[in-house]
Amino acid sequence: MADRTVPRIAGEQGAVASARETSPKPGPLLSATKLEKLFPGVTALQGVDVEVFPGEIQCWIGENGAGKSTLIKVFAGYYQKDSGTTSVNGLEVDIEDPIHSLSLGMSFILQELSVVPGLTVMDNILLGHEVSLAGNVLRSRQASRAKILLESIGFGSISPRELVASLSVAEQQAVMVARALHLDANVIFFDETTASLGAEEAQKIFKVMEKIKGEGKAVVFVTHRLDEVMRVADRVTVFKDGEIVESGLVSEFSMESMVTKMVGREISNVFPEKDREPSDVVLELVSVTTQNVQNVSFTLRRGEVVALAGLVGSGRTEVLESIFGLEKLSSGEIRLKGQRLNPANPVAAINAGIGLVPEDRRSQGIVALRSVEENLTLSWAGRTEKKGWRKKGVGLAKDFIDKMAIRTPSQKQLIGLLSGGNQQKVVVSRWLATNPKVLLLDEPTRGIDVGAKSEMYRLIDSLARGGLAILLVSSEMTEVLGLADRILVMRRGQIAGELDGSTSEEEVLKLAMLEKETT
Amino acid sequence: MSSIWERVAGFLVRQRNNPAIATISILLALIVVFSSLSDRFLTIENFQNVSRSVSAIVIVGCAVTLVMVARGLDLSVGSVLAATAVTAAFLAANGVNLWLSYLAALGLGLALGALNAIFVVGLKVTPIISTLGTMNIARGIAYLITPSAILVGLPSEWALLGTGSYFGMPSPTLFAVAFVIFFSWILNRTVLGRHVYAIGGNEEAARLAGVNVNRTLFLLYTTTGFSVAIAAIVLSSRLGSGDPNIGIGFEFDVIVAVILGGTSLAGGVGRISGTVIGALIVGFLSNGLNLVGVEPFWQYIAKGSALVVAVVLDRFAGREGRSKKTKEAPKGK
Repeated sequence: MADRTVPRIAGEQGAVASARETSPKPGPLLSATKLEKLFPGVTALQGVDVEVFPGEIQCWIGENGAGKSTLIKVFAGYYQKDSGTTSVNGLEVDIEDPIHSLSLGMSFILQELSVVPGLTVMDNILLGHEVSLAGNVLRSRQASRAKILLESIGFGSISPRELVASLSVAEQQAVMVARALHLDANVIFFDETTASLGAEEAQKIFKVMEKIKGEGKAVVFVTHRLDEVMRVADRVTVFKDGEIVESGLVSEFSMESMVTKMVGREISNVFPEKDREPSDVVLELVSVTTQNVQNVSFTLRRGEVVALAGLVGSGRTEVLESIFGLEKLSSGEIRLKGQRLNPANPVAAINAGIGLVPEDRRSQGIVALRSVEENLTLSWAGRTEKKGWRKKGVGLAKDFIDKMAIRTPSQKQLIGLLSGGNQQKVVVSRWLATNPKVLLLDEPTRGIDVGAKSEMYRLIDSLARGGLAILLVSSEMTEVLGLADRILVMRRGQIAGELDGSTSEEEVLKLAMLEKETT
Repeated sequence: MSSIWERVAGFLVRQRNNPAIATISILLALIVVFSSLSDRFLTIENFQNVSRSVSAIVIVGCAVTLVMVARGLDLSVGSVLAATAVTAAFLAANGVNLWLSYLAALGLGLALGALNAIFVVGLKVTPIISTLGTMNIARGIAYLITPSAILVGLPSEWALLGTGSYFGMPSPTLFAVAFVIFFSWILNRTVLGRHVYAIGGNEEAARLAGVNVNRTLFLLYTTTGFSVAIAAIVLSSRLGSGDPNIGIGFEFDVIVAVILGGTSLAGGVGRISGTVIGALIVGFLSNGLNLVGVEPFWQYIAKGSALVVAVVLDRFAGREGRSKKTKEAPKGK
């Protein structure tokens, strides 16, 4: 079935293919040694050694930003390594681009699905490799080929002629797997594929993994759910800060030891002292339920920093969005200073005194082609200041540039030309100009360098001391632990527990990742 | 004291990054070329002619500039021009008070602009399809009012707004100047103008900053309809008739002018002064080719080429802007 040879690009791939046939002992299908990948200001991977063997399911675990996705992207040919070697079937090869990666026998099932929803199942599976005669697609041959592939992974129930758009997420992932098998992939990567799946659907994907493994191929599975690791993995590789801290058989691990391995790092003194004194309650959520979160209740006080922790997709951002009028409440209440608010849109939230520094600065925070001054006064002009704002705006921008130490030649500079940290300071200033009561920060230090990060931490602290109520979402545990007075841990759209700001990373991760309640 | 040449050189050096410098050069080159080809070109009378003939493009171009800076588009302006012109003429020719006729035309312009806005903002149909729909609806309205006939027999005051000249400028030109001043003020000096740039530059960021995106876009499309109605009144007053066939291809001239003027198709970038220069290029191109005796058919080819050249220029400018953006480290999960 899957042993059909895909037409390969001539050259080293041919050599690899023949090496595969003649290789006497089962060496690794895929390996990397001393792999390094640098981004401006960040070392994403350093000295990474990894081996993937035939007939195994290897789980990669680690915090957000630990380097798992970066390593996948190096194998997939999206990023080029800076140093070190990568080998396929024992032969050293530089992976040039995604097509090259594919021809080397690697396939990737990503969280964001890369299926074409408007095409049928068979057209998706055979996309780019259609069974055709003189340009005409042979539909029945396509259908039977697709059927065989789907049956081989236990998804024979999917009709090849169905539209992909009508399938469930797990079924769409199965289509991607069938496509990978059709392309003769030997190593199939699953990048957090189960994050958006329910338990039943996830089971189906695990069966697919077992099938792939049974054929002497390899599965690399990135997941944050440690119970899944215990269930399917043969081997576990733990990532931390761009390095691999441990790799071994799953029997050598327990869920607790995995968490410990993922953490084990000191929080440096970049964080200000947490001796703030929160006063009266400003914001209160009572059983807030939306499409994405259920029954979320908490309070936020003046002068307090509260963090929402949890995995990507656990509903943290959605809580902020509901407070900012971007998510419709199906039930529950949002109160500001005791008054029911339930904002219908951002304008209502802002007028009530709420500001949001959004998750993706570039696509949601700034207008890159306009000046620092315009970006800074965007919410203030015409709202807080109705008349004479043009002259005052320039003064205001200058004040904030001084006060916040925004490094820019002048307030007229295009914001797109500033560094990430300075752009973020402008976005924060935009809200401070409107005199808010509550500031929502979604990943405020994403993509900014270390120095700018500690500046941002001091800023957040001084804002809280100035009487602002701050709700912080961050995927960086150090940040959450270093800044927050209280930590609300989210899991699957609900608050799984509340921890004191002096808690440990392990406690937070346990609440966020483990299905069993530990507190 | 620096000499005049040093000052000129200094000015030119400062202008080297001005995006308008390319279009101004094109305009000047056109004037130089046509001046050498025809001795009737470089006269005050001819320049008055051109300014009169481009006035409608400028009036409508001002409003469309705002729409396009906000990353919208309006293809319906030519048909709305016909529908509103015919409405005013039909009512005036049938004895309705002239000013009431004008008022009706303005009302129809607003309504058709609002129709665009409802399609785009309310029904979330892309601007190109929305305004293509309105384009045909408006043309249909024009023909329904006066099937295949040019309306004549208008009252004598009909010519009041569109003919004559004041301060050495033809009346339509004065309307255009007023529009340019008003819309420059809107775009450069008002909160609305800032919001237009913000919506075009990054709609999501604008929305999250509390800009009422829907209300702003609604305002822009209705303003365009209203501006078209004014242009229609001035134009048909000058022509002395109401013609359901006017304005065919007008949307093309307007868009060419706006794009030539440096408004980015991707939104967020553009100026009223650029649109004026763009409109003058369109006007001088037609006028010059006419004077030189080139067949009208060639003018289509010239204008079509100008549009494509303008879009290519826009892309180069855009690419330069993008390359300046700082790269960021992607984050692993």
